[in-house]
Amino acid sequence: MKKAEGVIILWWLLFFTLHAEGTSYSLPGKPTLTNCRSPEKETFTCWWEPGSDGGLPTTYHLYYRKESSDAVHECPDYRTAGKNSCFFNKNDTSIWINYNITVVATNARGSTFSDPVEIDVVYIVKPNPPEKVTANVSWNKSWPSLRVSWDPPQKADTRSGWITLIYELRIKLEGEDKWEEHPAGQQKMYNIYSLQSGGTYLVQVRCRPDHGFWSEWSDSTYFKVPDYFPQERSIWIIIMIFSVFIFLILIWAIHMNSHTLKHHILPPVPGPKIKGFDKQLLKSGKSRDAFSSLVGSDFPPTTTNYEDLLVEYLEVYIPEEQGLMLEEGKDLHDGSLKSKSYTSDSDSGRGSCDSHALLVDKSEEEKEVGQKSNQQGGRTEMDLKRPEESPEENILNYSHANVGSPDVSCEKVKTWPSLFSPLTENSSGPLDQPDSPEMAKQHCLSDSLFPPSPLSSPFAPPGHKEVLGSNYQEYSFGNLHPQTGSHQYLRAHGNMNVANIGHKGVPADLQLPPVRSTEYVEVQKVNNENMVLLYRVSSDVEKGCPGRRHTEEYSRLKGVNNDNGLLLLQRMVSEEEMNICPYEDQESSGLTDSGYTTSTAQKSTAYIPPATQVLDERVAGGYVDTSMFTLPIY
Amino acid sequence: MTAHIRPVCAVWVGMVCLVFCSRLSGMKAASICGNAQAECHFLSLANLFDRVIQHSARMHGISNDLHSEFELYFLPSKNQVSRVGRNCHTSNILTPNGKENAQRIEREELTEVIMKLLAAWRDPLWHFHQSVARNHRFNGYGSNKSLEMSDMAHELRKGVQKVVEKMQTLGVISNSVGGLASPEALLAADGSGWRFMKDSDLLYCFRRDSNKIQNYLKILKCRIVPEHGC
Repeated sequence: MKKAEGVIILWWLLFFTLHAEGTSYSLPGKPTLTNCRSPEKETFTCWWEPGSDGGLPTTYHLYYRKESSDAVHECPDYRTAGKNSCFFNKNDTSIWINYNITVVATNARGSTFSDPVEIDVVYIVKPNPPEKVTANVSWNKSWPSLRVSWDPPQKADTRSGWITLIYELRIKLEGEDKWEEHPAGQQKMYNIYSLQSGGTYLVQVRCRPDHGFWSEWSDSTYFKVPDYFPQERSIWIIIMIFSVFIFLILIWAIHMNSHTLKHHILPPVPGPKIKGFDKQLLKSGKSRDAFSSLVGSDFPPTTTNYEDLLVEYLEVYIPEEQGLMLEEGKDLHDGSLKSKSYTSDSDSGRGSCDSHALLVDKSEEEKEVGQKSNQQGGRTEMDLKRPEESPEENILNYSHANVGSPDVSCEKVKTWPSLFSPLTENSSGPLDQPDSPEMAKQHCLSDSLFPPSPLSSPFAPPGHKEVLGSNYQEYSFGNLHPQTGSHQYLRAHGNMNVANIGHKGVPADLQLPPVRSTEYVEVQKVNNENMVLLYRVSSDVEKGCPGRRHTEEYSRLKGVNNDNGLLLLQRMVSEEEMNICPYEDQESSGLTDSGYTTSTAQKSTAYIPPATQVLDERVAGGYVDTSMFTLPIY
Repeated sequence: MTAHIRPVCAVWVGMVCLVFCSRLSGMKAASICGNAQAECHFLSLANLFDRVIQHSARMHGISNDLHSEFELYFLPSKNQVSRVGRNCHTSNILTPNGKENAQRIEREELTEVIMKLLAAWRDPLWHFHQSVARNHRFNGYGSNKSLEMSDMAHELRKGVQKVVEKMQTLGVISNSVGGLASPEALLAADGSGWRFMKDSDLLYCFRRDSNKIQNYLKILKCRIVPEHGC
């Protein structure tokens, strides 16, 4: 029981004591001076924060003491600055003097002192914001610029130099968050150039003394940047219209002249023109008709007249066992060798010159050469090699068959056997044994049935062959061309035996000697009478007719005709030689006998046509077939 | 012909000399303009004032830095009470403590006050620098600052001297203003009270005095040449 009562009493006591705390009186709480500020360095104000009042009405007093004085003064003005403040007016304010300020809170129970604060007015200056902030927008060459101007706060005396203020302004577009700040120094205006036309801006200014606090920002000043002058826009519109107009005109002009422009810019590629070939026919699908014009009407030759068919060939073919090779100076560039192989032979290795007919008809050749040459008549021409070819080349030409170039091998020679290209003295090129039939040159002189075209030799055999049983009378002309200097030999081959394949009337008993070497006639000299003295050049390879080798044979140059043609006299083969070299004799006799019909007046004149241009060049460069010589061209 | 040349040459040489000399004299005054002489002089005085004021502002800035640094590192305890008993050695110099007082005072007196202040701080600053350098109180930064402060005070004195002379020549102020050799200045300089000051008090006092000097110079400028930046 007692215990319970004691507990209850205790509880009651506790309860009351707790309750009693709320209502007890006590000393006031400690006030605190929050700050003191001076707006113009002439007056200043201090504010304090009261503490708890202790339940009793509390009064606050501020006391201060000046430096170097013990007198305590009380705040002169508690009201001006509001509650819990103390305002020091000018009379009470001293600069450069320390103030020791204390606030005292007093209630019935007692007083509580705040912590003292020492201040020097100089260092607590916080001016008012600047006033009369104005913004003027001006135009500088179509760019807007802003001039902000303001006045210092009214109370701050800057004119006497008492306070020096430093300003700062900030600007932003309406609606944005970020300000753009600009320090302005001590000046009272500022220019801003980075403005958007048509935008609304806010601008604010604040200031501070050289050793003090920043003022508050002034009230925002709104200003709007007007849009650019419409003049500018109108000018742009005019320019746009004008340019569009010009553009349209250009388009129209281009359209009008599109065709010519096309031709200028993209010139039409000339199509291939084949004479006699009609593209339209081809397009129409009539290939037969289209190609009909290409196909010569007289090809394949329908006539059986071989004489008509055949171009005068000089075809040299030496089978492998035979070493005789007719070497022919190669004239790639100049279609001087114009030998067209006989038509039907188309194998590339040997060419048309190499044919059975050739072999068989070799016996006929010699006789036919002349006839052929005759028949060819006006078509023949002797193509002489150019002397420009270096001798070395010619050696090579001799020794290496030009297998790969059909043009060379059996180029069409009108009627003349081609002249050998000039050889150097030490060369025995034409007489070199070929290593292989491939090496042999095939020299084909063919009388062309086709219209003379220099390089056309579609059927030209690629290879050269040695002339089988070539029975040449080789005429070599000294190089009448003084410039070359080297004594170049013009070797003329009378490839009489080669000439005509399938030539009829060849005596059957004519047998080609297995090996015939090319024989050269060498020009000894040109005497005063404009005669070319020829002598036969001995050849190493020559196996047949050795006797012939040693003799000198001349072809006398009869003269030079008006057209710069060399007129050569056919050498008369001696009987002796004829015996030894029957073939040759026959050949030569064939030459003589064969109808050099047109040359009756002259025994045998070799006529080198003027078509060979400069005589010198040509003479040195090719074959001169005796048969050719005996034939007049025209 | 030769008879003419010699006098002409002499005249020409004389003219060249005149021009040269006038130029030199003009340069002494640091003249910016070339027009009316009166304007020129005032302008140059304003220029001088500006320079001096800038100099004093810089000096005050250094002293402010040193003082705050000193308080930060060497007076952690907020013993504010001791400050009240502080007594600067320049407190005997009567200085205007308010705007009205400063505007009421005569320009000559104001100039004198400036001069006295500057004179009074020449030795203490040098002593302070020596003390700092010797005792390694501050770091290198503080030592340099103290030396700079001392030098600037010295230069400022010379500058103000020049301004005073300029003003006197212009007749702005009377010649009664004493120079460095004035008895008041000497008296101030002789005072040895500063030797017993603590470094912290010394810095505190100088900070205040440099502010005074700056402010007085501004007031003086705006009183004498108000049209230029006041």
